[in-house]
Parts: sequence; structure tokens; C-alpha cells
Amino acid sequence: MRQSTIAKMDVAPPKHLGELFTGFLWIGARSFGGVLPWAYRTMVEERRWLSHADFTETIGLCQFLPGPNIGNASIVLGKRWFGLKGSIVAFLGLMALPFVWVLALFAVYNDFAYYPWLNAVVNGVGVAGAGLFIGTAIKLGKVLVRKPAALAIIAACFLCAAVARLSLLYIVPVAFIVALYAARKDWL
Amino acid sequence: MTLLELAFHFGILSLISVGGMPSVMPELQRLVVHGKGWLTPDEFIQAFAVGQAAPGPNILIASLIGWKVAGIPGALVALAAICGPAAVLAWWVSELWERFKDSPWRRAIQRAIAPVVVALILSSGFIIATPASPDWRLWLIAGLSAAAMLAANVNPLWMLAGGGILGAWLL
Repeated sequence: MRQSTIAKMDVAPPKHLGELFTGFLWIGARSFGGVLPWAYRTMVEERRWLSHADFTETIGLCQFLPGPNIGNASIVLGKRWFGLKGSIVAFLGLMALPFVWVLALFAVYNDFAYYPWLNAVVNGVGVAGAGLFIGTAIKLGKVLVRKPAALAIIAACFLCAAVARLSLLYIVPVAFIVALYAARKDWL
Repeated sequence: MTLLELAFHFGILSLISVGGMPSVMPELQRLVVHGKGWLTPDEFIQAFAVGQAAPGPNILIASLIGWKVAGIPGALVALAAICGPAAVLAWWVSELWERFKDSPWRRAIQRAIAPVVVALILSSGFIIATPASPDWRLWLIAGLSAAAMLAANVNPLWMLAGGGILGAWLL
């Protein structure tokens, strides 16, 4: 609480496009294990471009929009500070280094992929990543367990997507319309 | 031709990716492995693993798929296509969202999206941990990783490292 009031006093947006670019470049450069915490550290704690509350609000919006959350945040914040140019510069800054690194890592991996043990390690990493998704879903779902309508929607979507393997192109629009109806009826 | 196909399919994925990359993994796998045969099931999970372990937004798995399909141009097109339509939408919506701050529709949309996103992320985890027939070793690694994440607030790289060690031992 105290931290957010301190942060609110002296926040100032980046002064020029170069600063915006290096800020997002720096976020992308060190975002091992997830971008969000590094985005917070860079923009709220170090450079003080925006307040804690402002950051949370922006990320909240981006989580509801389609697209990568932090990628959307770069678009929204870039627009707020510098218009279209800002959106493009922030997005490119964010993606530039991770793009190079992920391709380099994959290229190196492909050169050694014929070692069975390395295959086993990488498969283990992938499945652990799947576990992180399951953990995230449980974390986000905790607030919904007391709402039968929410649980019904979750179960139905899961059966359609994961078990029956229907296309999300059908599941997402239908599920969203049903959920919107339930939300308007105050069931969610 | 392949570049156009990449752009088209990933562009559509972009628009349904509510909640980000985790939500569209089921569709991505359906398309890339079963629909187009661009990657084998093994290659897909490996691309996913590299995308998780490398720094940066995990949407970059799209550029790994693009790279497998059509080299560096494929990587660039895939990333642009999966981010572009959503980015345009974010650009337009961010102001509207602010303006309708107190609208009941905004609150309804927020509450409606939550269970859908939870279901999609859960489905992604399940599908990646079940590439073919159910395998208790994969489910064990995924379960431990999920439990560790819920129990301790540490950098997820620790869970990925643990998964790698267990993978070397079990798989």
C-alpha cells in the first residue's frame, strides 16, 4: 500500500521514443521465467513510468483482450504516451531480443536433438511448462469455485477442447456468448 | 504460399487468443501437428519447451513454428500474424475500455471471460502433458510442477529445471 502511494508521487512517462524503446528492450532482455514481473520491475519500480495501480489496471485490460498480455500492454502504453509510433516502438523493443534468443536456442537444440537424453530433458521441461499452465488455471479458478455456472462452463469447455479436441474457433465464441448471458443474469 | 498460409491461420488464432498464448495451445497443436503436419508431436512439445525456457513472451513459440516451416521469413511472418490482429484490436479498444469504466456491460464481459480463460489454460496444460495416450510419467511431472507453483512463489524457471531433471531420469 505504502509503496503504491510513494510510486504515485513521482511517476513520469518516458520522455522520448528512444527511452521507450530501451525500456522495453530491457524488459525483453532479462525476462527469464515470465515477462510480467520484469515489466513491473522496469516500468514501475526502476523507471517509474507509471504507478502500481495504473500498471495493474493496464495489465487487467490486456488479460481480457486476445493476444499476448505483455505484447498488448506494449501497444496500449506506447499509444498512451506517443500514439501509433509509440505502440510500434514499444512492441518492437519488447520482442527484438527474445525473438533472436529463442531462435538461437532452438537452432542449438536442433543441432543436438539426436542425443536421446537431451530429448528426454527437453520433453521434461515442456511437460513442466504444461504443469505451470495447470497451476495458473487453478490459481485463476479459485475465485470461481463457489459459482456453479462458472464450473459448468469450465467443465464444458474442457471437455470440448481437451477431450473431444473440437476447434477453438467454435468453442471460444459459443462459450463467450453463454458466459456473457450467465454474467448478465448475475450467475458469474 | 506457405507464408500466406502461416499468416492466415495464425492471424485467425490471434483473434481468439483471449488470455494470451496459453489459451490457444490446443488450437495451435491441432493446426500445426494434426491439420498441416508442419511439426511432429515431439517437435511441437520441444518447440513449446524452448519457448518456455527462453526469456521473453511465450507467444514466441509461434516464431519457432514459423521457422521450422519457412525459415527466418516464416518466423517473422508467424510472429507478426499471431500478434498483429490482436494488437490492432488492443489499440482500438484501450480507449473505449476506459470510457465504459462504469458500464454494466464492461463488468459482464470481464466476468464472462474469466471462466473461459481458465478452461482454455487448463485444456492447454492437459493437452501438452498428454501428447499421445496418457502416460503417468508425464502427468507426474506436470502435477509436481503445478503443485510446486501453487505451494511456492518462486521463479517458474525452477519448475522447468526440475522438469528437465525428472525428464532425464524418467523418460
